[in-house]
Amino acid sequence: MESLYVLIPLSALLVLAILGVFGWAVHKGQFEDIEAEGQRILTDEAPAVDADQDP
Amino acid sequence: MMPPAQPLAQPSPAAEGVAVLDDPLEQGRFTRWVAGPGGERWAESSLQLAGLHCAACSGIIEQALGRVAGVHMARVSAAAERATVCWDPDLTRPSALIAAVRRAGYDAVPDAAAPARALRLQLQRQALWRLFVAGFCAMQVMMFATPSYVAAAGELSDEMRRLLNWGAWMLTLPVMAFSATPYFAGAWRALRTRTIGMDVPVALGIAITFIASTGATFEPDGIFGHEVYFDSLTMFVTFLLGARWLELRSRQHAAETLERALARLPETAWRVAADGGVSAVSVQRLHVGDQVRVPLGQAFPADGVLEQGDTQADESLLTGESAPVPKRMGDSVVAGSSNVGAPVLVRVLRVGGDTRLETIVSMMRSALTQRPAAARVADRWAAPFLWAVLLLAAGAAAVWSVIDPSRAVWVAVSVLIVTCPCALSLAAPATLVAAARGLARRGVLLQRLDAIEVLATAQHIFLDKTGTLTEDRLQCSAVLLTPGAVAQGYTEASVQALAASLASWSTHPASRAVADLQPGQTDSGDWQQVHEVPGQGLGAQDAEGRAWRLGQAHWAGAQAPLPAGAQTPLRAGAQAPLPAGAQAPLPADARLVLSCDGRLLAGFVLEEVLRPGAEQAVQALQRDGVTLRLVTGDTAERARQLADRVGIVNVLAAATPEAKLAALIELQRQGHKVVMVGDGVNDAPVLARADASLAMGQGALVSRCHADAVITSSRLLDLVSARRTAQRALAIVRQNFIWAGTYNAVCIPLALVGWLPPWAAGLGMALSSLLVVANALRAGR
Amino acid sequence: MSNSAVMASPAGAKVDADQASVAAAPGGYYTDQAVRLFALAAILWGVVGMLVGVIIASQLTWPELNFGIPWLSYGRLRPLHTNAVIFAFGGCALMATSFHVVQRTCQTRLFAPGLAMFVFWGWQLVIVAAAISLPLGMTQGKEYAELEWPIDLLIAVVWVSYAIVFFGTVGIRKVRHIYVANWFFGAFILAVALLHIVNSAAIPVSLTKSYSAYAGVQDAMIQWWYGHNAVGFFLTAGFLGMMYYYIPKQAERPVYSYRLSIVHFWALIFTYMWAGPHHLHYTALPDWAQSVGMVFSLVLLAPSWGGMINGIMTLSGAWHKLRDDPILKFLIVSLSFYGMSTFEGPMMSIKTVNALSHYTDWTVGHVHSGALGWVGLISMGSLYYLIPRMFGRTTMFSVRAIELHFWIATIGIVLYIAAMWIAGVMQGLMWRAVNPDGTLVYTFVESVKATFPYYAVRLLGGVLYLSGMLIMAWNVVMTVKSGKAVDSPIPMPAPAHA
Repeated sequence: MESLYVLIPLSALLVLAILGVFGWAVHKGQFEDIEAEGQRILTDEAPAVDADQDP
Repeated sequence: MMPPAQPLAQPSPAAEGVAVLDDPLEQGRFTRWVAGPGGERWAESSLQLAGLHCAACSGIIEQALGRVAGVHMARVSAAAERATVCWDPDLTRPSALIAAVRRAGYDAVPDAAAPARALRLQLQRQALWRLFVAGFCAMQVMMFATPSYVAAAGELSDEMRRLLNWGAWMLTLPVMAFSATPYFAGAWRALRTRTIGMDVPVALGIAITFIASTGATFEPDGIFGHEVYFDSLTMFVTFLLGARWLELRSRQHAAETLERALARLPETAWRVAADGGVSAVSVQRLHVGDQVRVPLGQAFPADGVLEQGDTQADESLLTGESAPVPKRMGDSVVAGSSNVGAPVLVRVLRVGGDTRLETIVSMMRSALTQRPAAARVADRWAAPFLWAVLLLAAGAAAVWSVIDPSRAVWVAVSVLIVTCPCALSLAAPATLVAAARGLARRGVLLQRLDAIEVLATAQHIFLDKTGTLTEDRLQCSAVLLTPGAVAQGYTEASVQALAASLASWSTHPASRAVADLQPGQTDSGDWQQVHEVPGQGLGAQDAEGRAWRLGQAHWAGAQAPLPAGAQTPLRAGAQAPLPAGAQAPLPADARLVLSCDGRLLAGFVLEEVLRPGAEQAVQALQRDGVTLRLVTGDTAERARQLADRVGIVNVLAAATPEAKLAALIELQRQGHKVVMVGDGVNDAPVLARADASLAMGQGALVSRCHADAVITSSRLLDLVSARRTAQRALAIVRQNFIWAGTYNAVCIPLALVGWLPPWAAGLGMALSSLLVVANALRAGR
Repeated sequence: MSNSAVMASPAGAKVDADQASVAAAPGGYYTDQAVRLFALAAILWGVVGMLVGVIIASQLTWPELNFGIPWLSYGRLRPLHTNAVIFAFGGCALMATSFHVVQRTCQTRLFAPGLAMFVFWGWQLVIVAAAISLPLGMTQGKEYAELEWPIDLLIAVVWVSYAIVFFGTVGIRKVRHIYVANWFFGAFILAVALLHIVNSAAIPVSLTKSYSAYAGVQDAMIQWWYGHNAVGFFLTAGFLGMMYYYIPKQAERPVYSYRLSIVHFWALIFTYMWAGPHHLHYTALPDWAQSVGMVFSLVLLAPSWGGMINGIMTLSGAWHKLRDDPILKFLIVSLSFYGMSTFEGPMMSIKTVNALSHYTDWTVGHVHSGALGWVGLISMGSLYYLIPRMFGRTTMFSVRAIELHFWIATIGIVLYIAAMWIAGVMQGLMWRAVNPDGTLVYTFVESVKATFPYYAVRLLGGVLYLSGMLIMAWNVVMTVKSGKAVDSPIPMPAPAHA
């Protein structure tokens, strides 16, 4: 199963990269005060541009 | 003696307190300086918010703060109820920020706990990252290990197997080097101090597993055999860290709740200026040579010398001696001690030192890091237990090296892992911390974890009356003029005004009730030489030099003042014979009288207000089998009246603090555990001596410091629920100990016999710890 | 930025273009030109791809329709269909929505809008090149990776540019928190880059021909490592990003549990890498590798359903909105198809089940329940939300047309997958039927004949689905004609970038 000689080291590197990304996210506070962030996308809209069109 | 030349304006606490925040010295506790994008100097403040009740609230507050000119950024954390505001010191001030929040309909106080919280946050993040690394790598290692499990004999070529093991080894490295380091560090620390901590067997197990598996990976024909256990290892570490993370969160939530409850406006001192005006300043602003006014019940803000008035000081926080120390003019007073006698003026000699807030907070924090008695017992047994474990493991390895050498290492590893007393060590602390958090959420702040055990098991509770069973205020229900007063032209209104202005000088409940007759009045009158005699009343001279008294009938009507420093508490409704010269008799239930130059002018009928829920609380406690006793310095008649109202049978009335203490000691001598619930200045010694003590949230500072718990909600029903929570917590601790013990007893023989492979041992141990922590969390609900 | 460049001039416009853009915007404007173009392209390629699908479905039903013309033969049109619906339709939908969502959730315009336009034109070039080369028979022979090496190189360049624009925009965000949809989009972009580069490694021998760098069963392993991760990251993670934004926006409610959405993301990343071998059951792939694939495909069920529940429960307390809002119907029903597919998939990856289903039309049914049901419907719902807003409106030209589209599409899907289930199970049973003496009961051609009616029903389902798409195309044209391509202002940031 020689393809694994490519896939396994690849996935090992990938795992290390993912761990790094997660560590960055944790230390940047991405996982704190989460529920409010879910709410945020609903409130941050500027009024939609009104092209004053027929419905 | 330096009487103020002008009438003193009664400071309004709310506005003055906020203004103090603008003082840069005060700001330092909740503000730090950051660099703006253009390099300019911006302030970043941390505010604790109150009143958030919905999902949109944080957005509203952010907008309200954003609209203040000079605010560059405002961010609200809804979960933590905290705001971080970045502002330009040239354009705005913290008081403006708080005002904006208040205008939006919420409230805010400075968040002085920010540095401690930043540290906690750091710990939390690091712990989460460690856990994630362990879990993620465990999953990937599991994938690499699965082929070995599912492949039929001979199906997996040796090269392929080696490749998979190598991959697993690679991904175990982060777990060893990063996730598991707390255990290695802990074990190293323990070994250096020549003790055996819980981390030692864990670290040993992990290390041996890794080394042996590494050997099997790179030299499958070597002494370690060809079995690798990277999947067990990583899974084991993951579960260990998971349990630890849960416990860490539990502790941090408890600390958060405490800090939130303690958040308040900064300590203020009332500085008297040269022209006699009084202004509220931050305690940190005081200079040597300032004169400050220290009301009754407050702490002395600095070391100084008494310049006007006589009083007593409670220096127990410093000396441990709970008896108040008399202070006369010219005596020195110590920063941090409490003024328990009368309002005085003090000349500052030395400044600095920790404020009371810091002291309480550090007491709270130390309470959380204490090991409760139950855990200390477990600790004592941990060392011999762990020695036994190490010997067992070594013995098993020796025996197996004869029977089947290839299994010797793994059996030893299994024994090490399965005997980990993690569950035992976690059983008590995790539960008690969770219970503390649950209690805090219900309005009872725990300062000492051990109190939970006493609260759960004690059969006797002493209840103070005034301020505990009753609200710490009295109501003035009637003002009665003597005929003489009427003849002199006084009306009810004028008498009320006079009495209220004099009464405003004291914080005694009776005086406050009279002062409340003129709510909102800021003019405290033209009084000079104001002095308060504990137990008797207030006396002062007016502009015309007449001697006025507001207090007990026999004292107010007397010609000569009683010696200062008399210790007898206020007696209510005493039918003392009227001294000669009195104009006319007063109704019997008049508690305070107002006299001028010895002539009685009016009487004030005062009533106690029972705390809402007091009756239900008493009934609930008695139904639970608790013996309640009402202890009070008030008269037997009043005490009996109140006791009948709430349903308490045992009453100890007219008790001095010594008498209360004696009653407590007597019960303890009989072998009972006694809980004391109180609030007043006079309760401090009893609170200190009781097996567990609770202070009402609005009580005097000195009582709150000595108590094991503070009922911040000031609701007596919370006492009942606190007791039930404590009982449930104890039951859970028992369950945890039983489980941990049973698990060890069953699994150790299995491991010795070789029926427990390392992965099962790891899984079992970790699940056991998780179970204990999860069970412990129930105590917080 | 020229707002009205490519768009049709508004027929009944009452508002001056200048007037619209004069609206005070101290925070600047979003750069939505690429979003607009990608959204319209998605509609176009959706129609094309589904049309090709209908054609090849007809050819399977009536092989005469091959006409003996090589460029119209099933063998060459099938990869055209798969590439068109996955990469042209799905790809354009993903690019449109990811550019739209990343700007709105980061409250900033795109990083390098010019590069975003390059991504658009580059991607269109890839699609056109595919549309030309595949019928001409130029193929690498690897499923969903048929395009020859020059196009592969172009894809790599365009994809890197895409990544730069997307991650660059996240980098200049004005909101500290990175909304969960962006995590899904980001993972999709990075994973596809990795998969594409590894799987498309080839040795060119001429401009139009190359050979895979891998061979035999090794190539199969890598191909299906790619193939299943393409499903996982392109068709799942990417569209989950869409779902996590457009469902809350259309329902006007936050995600049911934002915390769960984050856990969902990481759990998915955890487990996806090793499910590939389930495509290779009972092949030359070693048994243990097949078993690994099976085990982890089953494990994948949990995070997938977590996401589905999270999305559907967002409507908790507001189910009545489903009655009147056809866009919500698209979005929520897509999630139920997602749940169905992510249940069916793990079931089919069990070896014993796979022994029946492999090579049958059940696999086709499974693919299309995911493609038509999940990918198609979520894209349509999201585009119905997005397109009017790209043209200064809040609703499409005709809401009734959306409703009609929904019902036609759903009926089409149901017909399609039901037909394929029955056909697939029937084929599997027929193929494995053995006489007592060990001979096969049925010849292969007998199973083909038995499948005929189901192919006809499937064709009908596909035609319905295509019709729905045509209705959508009409609706979009009418919306664009009566709208105005104006960029929206960015709201003033309250919380600054920390």
